[in-house]
Amino acid sequence: MLGALLLSAGTVAPFARAALGAALTLQAAGVALLGGAGAGAAVLFGASPIGAGFRDGLNPALGIDGLTGFFLATLAIVAVPSLLYARDYLAGVSSGRAFGALSGLFLLTLAGVVTARDPVSFLACWELMTLVPATTILLRSSDATVRRAVFVYLAVTHLGGAGVWICILALAHYGALSDPGALVAQGAGVQTLVVVAAIVGFGTKAGLMPMHTWLPRAHPVAPSHVSALMSGVMIKVALYGLIRVLFEWAAPAPLWAGLTVLGLGLLSSLGGVLYALVQHDLKRLLAFHSIENVGIVALGLGASILFASRGEGTWAAIAFAAALLHILNHAVFKALLFLAAGAFERAIGSLDLDRIGGLLRRMPWTGGAFLVGSMAIAGVPPLNGFASEWLTLQALIHVAFGPSLGLGLAGAVATAGLAATAALALFCFVKAVGLVLLGAPRRPEVADAVEAPRGMRLGMVFLAGCCIALGAAPGLLVPSLMELAPQPGDLATEPSLLVPGTGSLPSPWLLLGLVALAGLLWRLRGSRRGAPVPAWACGQRIEPGLDWSSAGFTKPLRLVLETVLRPRREIATVREHGLTQSVRYSGEVPHLFDTALYGPVQRSALAGARIARRIQSGSVRAYAAYLLGLLLVLLLLVRTGAIG
Amino acid sequence: MIALAAAIQVAGGLALASLLPGTVQAFKARLQGRRGPSPLQPYRELRRLWGKGLADPQPTTIVYRLAPCVVAAATALALLLIPIAGLSPDWRLGNDALVLVGLLALARFALAAASWDTGSGFALMGSSRDLTLSVFAEALLLLAIVLAALPAGSTDLVAMSAAANGSAPWSEPVHWCAAAAFGLVVLFETGRQPIDNPDTHLELTMIHEGPLLEYAGRDLALLEWSAAARHWIVLVLGAELFLPHWGGFGPQLACLVGGVALLCAALALTETAQAKMRILRAPALLAGGCLLALVGLVSWLAGGSA
Repeated sequence: MLGALLLSAGTVAPFARAALGAALTLQAAGVALLGGAGAGAAVLFGASPIGAGFRDGLNPALGIDGLTGFFLATLAIVAVPSLLYARDYLAGVSSGRAFGALSGLFLLTLAGVVTARDPVSFLACWELMTLVPATTILLRSSDATVRRAVFVYLAVTHLGGAGVWICILALAHYGALSDPGALVAQGAGVQTLVVVAAIVGFGTKAGLMPMHTWLPRAHPVAPSHVSALMSGVMIKVALYGLIRVLFEWAAPAPLWAGLTVLGLGLLSSLGGVLYALVQHDLKRLLAFHSIENVGIVALGLGASILFASRGEGTWAAIAFAAALLHILNHAVFKALLFLAAGAFERAIGSLDLDRIGGLLRRMPWTGGAFLVGSMAIAGVPPLNGFASEWLTLQALIHVAFGPSLGLGLAGAVATAGLAATAALALFCFVKAVGLVLLGAPRRPEVADAVEAPRGMRLGMVFLAGCCIALGAAPGLLVPSLMELAPQPGDLATEPSLLVPGTGSLPSPWLLLGLVALAGLLWRLRGSRRGAPVPAWACGQRIEPGLDWSSAGFTKPLRLVLETVLRPRREIATVREHGLTQSVRYSGEVPHLFDTALYGPVQRSALAGARIARRIQSGSVRAYAAYLLGLLLVLLLLVRTGAIG
Repeated sequence: MIALAAAIQVAGGLALASLLPGTVQAFKARLQGRRGPSPLQPYRELRRLWGKGLADPQPTTIVYRLAPCVVAAATALALLLIPIAGLSPDWRLGNDALVLVGLLALARFALAAASWDTGSGFALMGSSRDLTLSVFAEALLLLAIVLAALPAGSTDLVAMSAAANGSAPWSEPVHWCAAAAFGLVVLFETGRQPIDNPDTHLELTMIHEGPLLEYAGRDLALLEWSAAARHWIVLVLGAELFLPHWGGFGPQLACLVGGVALLCAALALTETAQAKMRILRAPALLAGGCLLALVGLVSWLAGGSA
């Protein structure tokens, strides 16, 4: 309660002409309290729920239970460093006060969605959660492309959001919010309606493919601390809704729902990372990776439903915990990466990947944090991304163990897909690290870049520390997360993950072993520098023209996956007097979902609107004729007994 | 016995690993009618490199200098996960197959990042190809692990090795499919033909050698050792999980030695008989392996053995 009050105070403070820094600090303290109190009580110490339980009526009610506590903690872990960062990031920015107030409001709505205990406050907070970032984006910049991005964001999330309304209102109508058994008693038809509406509605907001098209447009144009909150928390709050429906209100979810979620997860993880790989802008690349990671979470959730339908309670709980752990981990490293991207943007301007280079030397703190975040998202041990991907993979492998042929095959395909996703993510982040941090600077602004101010550094270093800590001791968290599953499983609480049916993930020892061995080898090698030499280019000097580009590095993969990605390339050669004067190359990988799915839908919608417009003549007489016609038809129907 | 297994894990991994690429090269030379270098040649190379000075391409950062140590540390830890003749002492690292995959991925990340640091086109060409192929190879490796883990019901390498003990597994088609799939992984991870050519001196054709081009001295020695240790990891793992072995520790150890020698000979034979494939064709080969693995899984699930 106190946390919420402080957060509200921080939101209002900028209007009262208080200092922006103080307001943001107030917000940070508020959200920390909210996360700490709620999460600490409900998740780690297993206290009974605080506040109201779910109800179907119209009276607003708030409350915290285990799942809410977990999401509040995730919110706090991301929001506190983001707000610390924003203190310096927004200093000197015109309309910084408005940004400050809006980020506070955004946090309130996020917390509101997860603590709402009645349909009205849930839906109200849900809609505000969509609108506030749109306002923030438009406040930052309002040129045509940004306006277009915001339009697509609002259009797609509202169209998809209809699913959320249908789902929540149907649940409230059948009294299923307060009594989880009520929906199943209504029969399969209603349950199907609710589950489909939930997958479409919450899936759109979470960025699951193919409903993701707004995400890569909207996330990159927001201010970085808001991007961090959008990617880190907002899309997770959508997953919170999906989890509530599938595992609580509409539980037990049917088998087909599990397979659908698994399939969408596979599509999102592979599709998201593939399109991330061919992006040229750092923030857009990060946005596509959010789709990938939401897909990985969905794989865990799908596996959990499949296990539950097979009656394997412990594994259902493990898969559920894997999904939650990945939600937390992704929130941490994606927020870190967005904050670092914002710091880079502030220092050098454009984030065109092919024109950065060499920032590790110039911005060691930000660069180091970005490196840690990249390794975490690439899923290499001993960082946190590996821990949750390991657990998800183990769940999928155990789905593949059968006994039923169909599910076993689905599990094996998902396992192979997730393995390929992990390899692609590694590919993508090696590229990002190389192009942003390593090598020589590729334009003058980069060469003159200076390190970010202290508040921004602090936020990023805190998140990098979280990446390492969560990677070192996931086993302390997973048993508590398993408690949140519908059928709680039992696992020893130790830093290492000791899961039966696996060889266990001894993460603290891995970290220790890697650091000790690498240190030992470093001593053996001798830390003195080698002779300075130029890199080998067959005797040529390495010039800027020889620098490898993002497109060059991913070319082998583009060629291999030509049939899937359909890249376009154009080479224009200018010749004069038989001599080649210049060669221009342009290439792009069109986003197939936009060109092949949304394009036709949009075109046919517009064509349909044109046809519908024909009857809108504007003449009063025509409308009177329509009314008369309608009346006649109705009378006819009453006469024949079809209605009335 | 467990002490002997531990000794082989550590000492064998450290000292004997370099023998494997040496043996393959010696076999290959014989098959091609040459006398060839002795199997001990890699040791001489390591000794020579250890005594040489380092080179620092400009402008590189700590990432380039630290990469060989990270690669070697990750590979060395991976050595400790692999059971020897069905036994592995408790190093507190567990014996999980996926952790092994993760450690190999860490080594790949470090080396590819180092190539970006040098900015050298040849290094980047090598790592971009390596990473492209690794997408397919990792999916294949995971499927092979799933198949090998089916009888044991666990991804614990010790349990998987025990489940492959005896002749019973060979009556299941899934075991054959898994062995074939893993064979392709071996070709990729060891950087052998038809996927990569370890003998090439032409930078444009390099995959695994490319990122090593800039390194010299002890850095290069660490990387060369890591490449040899990767041979050890996949060949010993292949013999433990996918080649016949029987009985207790003694007979299994004999089977392991024989199996690894057999695999070395098989690699030499493939390299002699098979030309290098076009790089863009290799993913199709690996994807074909994935299909084979799925067929194996179907045979297992449909057979109702679960």
